[in-house]
Amino acid sequence: MLVVRPARSADLPALERLAGTATPRLTNLPAHRDRLEERITRSQRSFGRAVDFPGDEHYTFVLEDRERGEVVGTATIRAQAGAVDAYYTYRQETLIHASQQLNVRREVQTLSLSHEVSEASLLCALSLDPRYKGTSAESLLRRARLMFIAQYPERFADLLAVAFPGFLDEAGESPFWASVGEHFFQRGYQEINHIAGVRSKSFIAEVMPQFPLYLPLLTPPARAAIGREHPDHEVALEEMLAEGFVRSRHVDIFDAGPVIKGERDRLETFRRASWHPVRIRPASSLPDAEPAMIANQKLGEFRCVVARYALSPTGQLMLSPEHAEILGVEEGRAVLAAPLALPDAIDALDEGEL
Amino acid sequence: MRIRPIARGDLDGLQALSRQTGVGFTSLPDNREFLASKIESAARAFEERTPVDDRLYFFVLEDEDSGELAGCCAIEAQVGREVPFYHYRLGTLAHSSVQLDLHRTIDTLFLSSDHTGDAEVASLFLRPEYRGADRRHERNGALLSKARWLFMAQFRDRFPDKVLAEMRGVFNEEGVSPFWENLGSHFFPLNFNQADRLTGLGQKSFIGELMPKFPIYTTFLSKEAQACIGEVHEHTRPALEMLKKEGLRWEGYIDIFDAGPTVEAYIDDVRAVRNSTLCQVEVSAELATEAGGKNEGESGERPEWLVSTTAMVGFCACWVGRGPEGEVITLSETEARRLGVGAGDTVRVLST
Repeated sequence: MLVVRPARSADLPALERLAGTATPRLTNLPAHRDRLEERITRSQRSFGRAVDFPGDEHYTFVLEDRERGEVVGTATIRAQAGAVDAYYTYRQETLIHASQQLNVRREVQTLSLSHEVSEASLLCALSLDPRYKGTSAESLLRRARLMFIAQYPERFADLLAVAFPGFLDEAGESPFWASVGEHFFQRGYQEINHIAGVRSKSFIAEVMPQFPLYLPLLTPPARAAIGREHPDHEVALEEMLAEGFVRSRHVDIFDAGPVIKGERDRLETFRRASWHPVRIRPASSLPDAEPAMIANQKLGEFRCVVARYALSPTGQLMLSPEHAEILGVEEGRAVLAAPLALPDAIDALDEGEL
Repeated sequence: MRIRPIARGDLDGLQALSRQTGVGFTSLPDNREFLASKIESAARAFEERTPVDDRLYFFVLEDEDSGELAGCCAIEAQVGREVPFYHYRLGTLAHSSVQLDLHRTIDTLFLSSDHTGDAEVASLFLRPEYRGADRRHERNGALLSKARWLFMAQFRDRFPDKVLAEMRGVFNEEGVSPFWENLGSHFFPLNFNQADRLTGLGQKSFIGELMPKFPIYTTFLSKEAQACIGEVHEHTRPALEMLKKEGLRWEGYIDIFDAGPTVEAYIDDVRAVRNSTLCQVEVSAELATEAGGKNEGESGERPEWLVSTTAMVGFCACWVGRGPEGEVITLSETEARRLGVGAGDTVRVLST
């Protein structure tokens, strides 16, 4: 039985382990005990605080396997990507260089530092125990955050963003970093990523070159890496595109990984989520039904599980006593449910950016 | 040998010169119509019939023995007035963070038109027949180069504060500019020679239209391209040395195509402008016989003294055999004839 819940102080060793096994290592999930401890504390404060509009709150969740009694995944929402400092991305832009004299028109691609994504709420720092990869646990961990946002919209921005890890070669090096950042920092990708994780990324970004970069001057492998996700995250990216996220013109400043954006109203989970009163029935008597994410409405005691979307003729959601217990709900209480399955992914660029 | 303004009758001679200049000398294309208009505009400049900021003073080196044109040189009164004049300015950006233990400087190339309105010395060409080892003592190249300073000193009020000279950049064995290959070729649908020819013809607007507007971090260029920045073609080194001796310096501006350096100075600081003086002419018949009737300065001795006249129309400059005594300079009859001056006239004199 798997459940997503807010992280607690006791989860620290598990978080440390998950930070160490994330592939690739994540800037926003450094394998650094003090930072992770701070993160848990900060998250607990955020859950406990009355919030009217998004600020510098971080909400960190864990995925717990109740049978094993183990924390096997973690994921975070930053209410605002750049609340205290700016959230830096490179924005891909096209400049037209045209000459009447020569009767030519050329499109020149550039990357410009941007703070545009700073306002969005950021889904980040996801790491899952490899044993659960490809199971519904992965979707649950990733999208339980949407179930949380759906319940507390005032705490988040209308626009959500996800930055996917960028392409790395077999040696674990980023061709984009090698062609761009390394010129300015003389440090390898892994090293700078670690420093950025322990300190902050905007701290590094402030020392990045401030003028736009001309793509024709980058190496071909660096150009090819722009907007390309790490191979291990292809499936995850596809799921988020199916959810209704769209590719944006923004990429990560270190490895050029894609930043995708989604307006809350256009995401499948928000559109299809609905409230149902609970009816508790023995597991053996529950009818067969599509799997769904089911979440309670207890802010600090938030729980989200995958269960069958079994509705009674009168619209009650039928839950097993085990699920009801994990969710902490009694008969008659309302829960939020949304189908786990998504329509096929549409890989599109944000229309608003075309 | 003497320097004089180009004249309307020099079209054939100029075209002959243009055929010898070859690739890389873009301001003299072998195009009769273009050359004719160049002569006409130069003639009008010397006649002071064109505005002072729109003049090309074009000079030729004339071999009076044969009547042939041996070379040419020019002064553009003010660049960038009619068409934009671009350079890259090599700048430095500090890149530092105490917390990251990082302190580096990054070189950047900024597109600039900072030199708009400055004078330019340009288009210096000397035919090979006049510059071999056996004729080095004649100092024809120096004559072409330095006569311009006398002209600017004499007509100082026609020129702005600063003067510049663009030096040819580095090309590899295949005649290709590594800087162009690595930078310009990404932005221009032309090869280097096509692009260079268009700028030579004064058709430069395409540069502003196609060139990257944001600064270029040189670290993104290849090592070969970076090595070209501010470096001259080996054939240009003597010309650069001559300009440096006059006090022109590289201040970080380079050609946007081949990255060759642009050297510059305040005109009042140019050594030849500062040191040239006005003298009264005396003519001595004895000197001519002393030199054996041979052209002075071509007698095997390396000439040291440069003299020019003080009129704009009919300006003339040549080497003479001796310097002034006090405020008087004594010329041989040949020298006086060559310059078109007589006793009592004023000339400008420079020790080189």
